[in-house]
Amino acid sequence: MNIESRKRELVKEFSPLLEKTTKVSKIWMGVLVAIILVGVYAFFLQLFKGHEVTGMRDNVVWGVYIINFIFFVCLSYSGAFISGILHFYKTPWKNSVSRIVEIITVLSLIIGPIFILLCIGRLDRLHYLFLYPRIQSPITWDIIAIMTDLIGCFIYLYLTFIPDFAILRDHSENAPKWRQKVYKFLAIGYQDTPTQRETLHKITRTMSAMVIALAIVAYTVLAWIFSLTLQPGWNSSIFAPYFIVAGLYSGIAVIIIAMYLIRKYYHLEHYIRKVHFMVGGVILLILSLLYGYFTFSEYFSRWFSHKIHDTNLLNTLFTRYFWQFVLANYIGVLVPVVILFFKKFRSIKSITFASVIAILGLWLNRYLIVVPTLETPYLPIQDTREEFVHYTATWVEWSLSFTGVAAFILLFILIMKLVPIIPMSGIIDYERDNSKKKRTVNPKITE
Amino acid sequence: MQRNILKHSTITCFLIALLFNFSSKAQETTVDDYKMSFSFKTTKKFDNTRVLEVNFIGKNREDRKDKIPVFDAEIQFFNIANGEEILLGTAKTSNEGIAQIILSEKQKYLTDEDGYINLTARFEGTDALDAEEEEILVRDLILELNLEEIDSVKTIFVKAYTIDSLGVETPVEEVDVIISIEGMLSKMKIKEGTIENGEIEFELLQNIPGDIDKNFTVYAQILDNDEFGDVIQKKTVNWGTFDKISSIEENKLWSEAAPIWMYIVLTILLVGVWANFVYTGYNLFKIRKETKVVEAKVNNEEETV
Repeated sequence: MNIESRKRELVKEFSPLLEKTTKVSKIWMGVLVAIILVGVYAFFLQLFKGHEVTGMRDNVVWGVYIINFIFFVCLSYSGAFISGILHFYKTPWKNSVSRIVEIITVLSLIIGPIFILLCIGRLDRLHYLFLYPRIQSPITWDIIAIMTDLIGCFIYLYLTFIPDFAILRDHSENAPKWRQKVYKFLAIGYQDTPTQRETLHKITRTMSAMVIALAIVAYTVLAWIFSLTLQPGWNSSIFAPYFIVAGLYSGIAVIIIAMYLIRKYYHLEHYIRKVHFMVGGVILLILSLLYGYFTFSEYFSRWFSHKIHDTNLLNTLFTRYFWQFVLANYIGVLVPVVILFFKKFRSIKSITFASVIAILGLWLNRYLIVVPTLETPYLPIQDTREEFVHYTATWVEWSLSFTGVAAFILLFILIMKLVPIIPMSGIIDYERDNSKKKRTVNPKITE
Repeated sequence: MQRNILKHSTITCFLIALLFNFSSKAQETTVDDYKMSFSFKTTKKFDNTRVLEVNFIGKNREDRKDKIPVFDAEIQFFNIANGEEILLGTAKTSNEGIAQIILSEKQKYLTDEDGYINLTARFEGTDALDAEEEEILVRDLILELNLEEIDSVKTIFVKAYTIDSLGVETPVEEVDVIISIEGMLSKMKIKEGTIENGEIEFELLQNIPGDIDKNFTVYAQILDNDEFGDVIQKKTVNWGTFDKISSIEENKLWSEAAPIWMYIVLTILLVGVWANFVYTGYNLFKIRKETKVVEAKVNNEEETV
């Protein structure tokens, strides 16, 4: 196999994805930019007027921002976890998924923490967290964990991109000059020599293991922010594994949705095949069962213990939040389970639909973890205005939430414009390994 | 499905019968379903007062676990001797079905020729409940409890005797006695034995925890005795030990500085992770360096050619 000509072939195959932008893509990007601009306006409004423009008050101090934060950060951790695991598999099908997962990981880890900044009333005091950190506080642990994880994920993502940058540097003669310069800079002179390849594989392997460990630690610390308090609804010993399972559940669901959209709009049916959805569907089924089990255990133990504050919380969940509770914990679990459990129901579209339901259910589940708990504190709230006791998100919060999603999609599209969504180096490595195997098998046959 | 139901017609009939039977069984319980239990006992306390107590409850004839106390029933307590009835007092049963009176230490009792006191509890009965009566015969017992330290051995002396009308003390025989220490919730039994010739002695255990002044209370109890009923005596003694209450450990996470282990664990984790980042950076630098070497070689070769 002539590797150089194969590389050239692959660059030629993926070049349209990098260089051409269709009309639909442009419209899409325009819509996303518009959403982001509205979000920027909402952000400045919040910055100048303060949290008055949000639904957050003295009692319910956390709203949809923290839910988005948990959602994105968990998505990132699960991406890192899955990506780290995929790296240890030497299968051809992992190539089609691995880059999607890596991009999801980094983007959600960039966007997630922005939401926690939006929760802070006095951003001018943010630097105090670093100047006077309390090592005893889970918030400090979370800041350390997120920053370390972010850097780790960036390094990991960059390591996986280097061979592709090198391929693009060497075979993008027709690309614009700026693009060639970017590829040259990012490829750090990588020449794909056996020593370089071995070194890169070694450090990527170590980083993938590290990223899995970091994801578990960071997940756990995030769960501890809630579970180490004494709040009813949060103080739970199973919160850390519950968050891990829920995060993986959302991670797999987002990967499936991303695979569906990329496959459909970039016509990558040859690379993203039905088998990817089937495997993803089975993993989603296992995780949905696990997630359902944890959710049941969590609420059942609260109901059975019959402690007064837990009972108050459950009463709130079953009255004021009845439909949200049903959607989050019944529909959000049972619909994916039913779709994915029966083989005849499993199709690309149905699996994607199950993923969408899972995502919506999970987001609502996080809402139910945060808001009703804050609405039922230990000390009863008396003689307070209704809007101070109960929380309803304002347009500013919704706008900034959608901005997060829009920024995620837009950045995803832009990264796909920089490097192919299917790692070319992965394809080359696989084909090189295959030809090596053939070479070692053939002499044996002739003997 | 329908075929299955018809196939197992016997079971189906039984299930239907059972289903309807539930509703037919659902009827109110009446007093006739309960058997009345009227138990009477007396306890002579350490201050020589005497407690007379009736426990009046109804027990379901079919369900032994179902017990209902008889509430607000008036119980009369009598001392009877030679056909003469002296009303000692009346009491109404509580929510728990217990009626109780306490007779003073100065209370005089009529006795029969053998020195037995006849104590009777009586419930007159109502339209719903039958009359109840129970009598007990007890002799008045003097129980003495003395605590002495003999040759550094802490010893409990129990003496039990009766006094006849002439004032003659008669030591009792073959009476079981229990020695206990008063605990926070109940009495803790530490010794037991049988009184012979009116006396018994016990060696007390060492290092019994006392209160803040090192005091603890010792009880001598004769319980459910056929001749004397319940007799209790107690004495407080300064033989206990007292351990200072260990200071309540404050939450370390609320203190100025975190516990040392937290610094150590965090440092190990962070150093481990960041060392790996640095190692990765070093390897990337090596890759770049190798490229420069390769490029230099190629340039040299080109120049030579």
